[in-house]
Amino acid sequence: MMLRIDGSKGEGGGQIVRSSLTLAMLAGRPVHIRKVRAGRRKPGLLRQHLTAVRAAAEISDGKLVDARLGASEFRFTPARVHGGRYEFSVGSAGSAMLVLQTVLLPLCLAEEPSELVLEGGTHNPWAPTFDFLQRTFLPLLALMGPTVHAELERPGFYPAGGGRVRVEIEPVSELVPIDLLDRGEALERRAVASVANLSPGIARRELKAVRSALSWDEGCLRVEEIEGARGPGNVVRLEIRSACESLGEGGSVTEVATGFGRRSATAERVAREACAEAKEYLASGAPVGVHLADQLILPMAVAGRGAFRTQAPSRHTLTQIDLVRHFRGGRVRDDLPITVDRDGATPQWLVQVGET
Amino acid sequence: MKTSLRDVDRATVVLGLFGTRLDAGVEPTRWNRWRPTVDICRQEDLIVDRLELLVEPKSKRSAAVVKEDLESVSPETKVLVHGVEMAEPWDFESVFDELLGFVEEYPFDLEREEYLVHITTGTHVAQICWFLLTESRHVPARLLQSVPPGRDPSKPGSYTVIDLDLSRYDRIATRFDRELDRTLSFLKSGIETRNEKFNQLMERIELVAIQSRAPILLQGPTGAGKSRLARRIYELKAARHLVDGPFVEVNCATVRGDGAASALFGHRRGAFTGAATDRAGLLRAADRGVLFLDELGELGLDEQTMLLRAIEEKRFLPLGSDQEVASDFQLITGTNRDLRAAVRAGTFREDLLARLDLWTFELPGLRDRNEDIEPNLDYELDQAVHTTGRKNTMTSEARQSFLGFATSPEATWNANFRDLNAAVTRMATLAPSSRITVDQVREETERLRSAWRSPTPTNDLLIEILGAEAAEALDRFEAVQLADVLKVCRNAPSLSAAGRELFSESRKRRTSVNDADRLRKYLARFGLDWNAVRGNP
Repeated sequence: MMLRIDGSKGEGGGQIVRSSLTLAMLAGRPVHIRKVRAGRRKPGLLRQHLTAVRAAAEISDGKLVDARLGASEFRFTPARVHGGRYEFSVGSAGSAMLVLQTVLLPLCLAEEPSELVLEGGTHNPWAPTFDFLQRTFLPLLALMGPTVHAELERPGFYPAGGGRVRVEIEPVSELVPIDLLDRGEALERRAVASVANLSPGIARRELKAVRSALSWDEGCLRVEEIEGARGPGNVVRLEIRSACESLGEGGSVTEVATGFGRRSATAERVAREACAEAKEYLASGAPVGVHLADQLILPMAVAGRGAFRTQAPSRHTLTQIDLVRHFRGGRVRDDLPITVDRDGATPQWLVQVGET
Repeated sequence: MKTSLRDVDRATVVLGLFGTRLDAGVEPTRWNRWRPTVDICRQEDLIVDRLELLVEPKSKRSAAVVKEDLESVSPETKVLVHGVEMAEPWDFESVFDELLGFVEEYPFDLEREEYLVHITTGTHVAQICWFLLTESRHVPARLLQSVPPGRDPSKPGSYTVIDLDLSRYDRIATRFDRELDRTLSFLKSGIETRNEKFNQLMERIELVAIQSRAPILLQGPTGAGKSRLARRIYELKAARHLVDGPFVEVNCATVRGDGAASALFGHRRGAFTGAATDRAGLLRAADRGVLFLDELGELGLDEQTMLLRAIEEKRFLPLGSDQEVASDFQLITGTNRDLRAAVRAGTFREDLLARLDLWTFELPGLRDRNEDIEPNLDYELDQAVHTTGRKNTMTSEARQSFLGFATSPEATWNANFRDLNAAVTRMATLAPSSRITVDQVREETERLRSAWRSPTPTNDLLIEILGAEAAEALDRFEAVQLADVLKVCRNAPSLSAAGRELFSESRKRRTSVNDADRLRKYLARFGLDWNAVRGNP
């Protein structure tokens, strides 16, 4: 039966479109998405969304109806997801990482291994960066079973884009549940300021600002000059790897906070933005940061169980949970309870998927 | 709101020139600038499947960078570079030819592709040429105009698609037409004329009046409306801010003789007996306005010389003054004569005529505009309110009867609108109420009939020599005199002999009179010379 999704609900943007595609493939159910990005300045399917829609159709031998630029509604009927070699390119320096996110989980559960080449933006604001996926998300996904190897061949920054990421996926038939309930001592801290086609002075200023905001050791700071990028680009990323015993003996979780250099912001401001995000994470004491939280919902729903402690849940996280409730069947277990609760008097929230 | 540009099946193809200024750049900072050709392919809601980029040889290298950048920001877009040679990018013909050459060779495939012409890059000349080519459907495309980004220069800006077939353009076109209708109707004094030729003539005059400052010559029989039209042209020019001085009308027949030069060009106090004060003159009065010289053929040779200089240099010398006066006026002239014949007869300066007849318009007589008699009747009825002080109408029977006569071959309308105006004024005045009845019409048609029929002596000779139209346009006063003169000429062996006979009484009183010259000048006023009078070719 065709599932109907109101695209204007919840987050109401591109995420609901992409997650619906992923869930439709996982649940093996046709979906009719209406009111796509209704109320946005440019409503309907934009270019980067269309790339994700077509990617989903390609890996699942799916059928698309009315999926074109500007469409306010369209239908997607997936068939069998099959691994293989795929190349997806996103125009206008849109995030290639969001396209990867759309197809990653279904391909991790396909029968055949996959090799993906994704082109477009790799470090876009409002999207997970390559570093976040590689350092934060993929290690956790690996704990759930599949082996995913990602390599950044060329970074892509706004506005020039042209980034290139190669991803190899060794799929599994089922996902293993994980819990992220505690955060222990910090095992590793790193601040990396990257510049492409820009003066390294910018990166040095950013690191100086990081140092004064977070009082990290000089040894944690590193300037990275990127060669071969198509255009100018600058990001500051702060990595914090902490012990997480609930992941098992020697388990750890890494949070990546990113500041994006742009014309309208000084180097110091870019650094401070990343630091503010990191400080909030550190202050919460929770193992899972805001961005990781919404990424964990789908894999945990497929695994049938899982729990994590996080900061106050974002609209994205709540939208993911709501969507999973619509898509029952196939890889998504029926009658799967998902709860989001304030964890006592602490600033933390506890998200639980399935029976504990 | 923007709707989807993309049809389900058709690919989007953009044609555009490489912008030598806006699109160029090889430094990384180029990404912080608006580059229309790159940015039109960076739009979130537009996917360009193919870009046909027209590049001049000097921009080849910059264009290669743009092509490379496009591969990065718009992997969906296939970029095809075409070499074009604009000999002179600011020259219309050269640009138009080059673009026309390209689109004529281009294999448009409207089944599979839709086309957008990107007009933001290239010179303004190129932009206009694209517009013309698209409007004429040489390019079956819509126009694509991109707009630079606002605050953040790394953003791609926005774009507008303009369909020259669609409503927005129609609205502009309609406004244009309405505006044109308004001016045409203005020139025609709001009379809904139906005569095709006359309406075309008005369109042409409208164009010339607005586009040109050059002299206009209105030719036509007596009463054809030259004077009214001249005033209308002036009012049109004034409404368009093409003149800001007054309208000065002079009938050259009324300024003949000694006073003529002074009336036209002014004089200094004491220039001649009776010149008690300075006089500015009519040319000076028309400064920055329009001077209408009616019955131009009546202007004396001396005045013609002065007028020519005034037109050419916008300066002239008032009588008795050693200081030139400037006056910048636009000139309209009117005549019911054939000025060329007057030139042949030596009574009109050829160089002056050459200056005046760049734009010559022949106003038809009312007889040749049968279908316009009814709207003009309504117009005259409206106008009659000024003389009768009341609104005038006609019973339908009266109207039918009048129009029946007015459009019959019997109605020759010798003095054209002057006759019509007089007829309506008389009927309106004589009507017992504000309604004109068949009684007034019957009386008026009788009057007109007899006026037009009134035989002028040797009418046949006049018609033979002047032509029917010109002969009928003569006032009776003149016709009688001319007819007799012509009769004498026909019977005389030479011009001198005819002159001696015609001016015999003057000869008795004076010692030396050049009779032949006097006769030659008289004939020339009607555009005639000795040969014409004798019937020689």
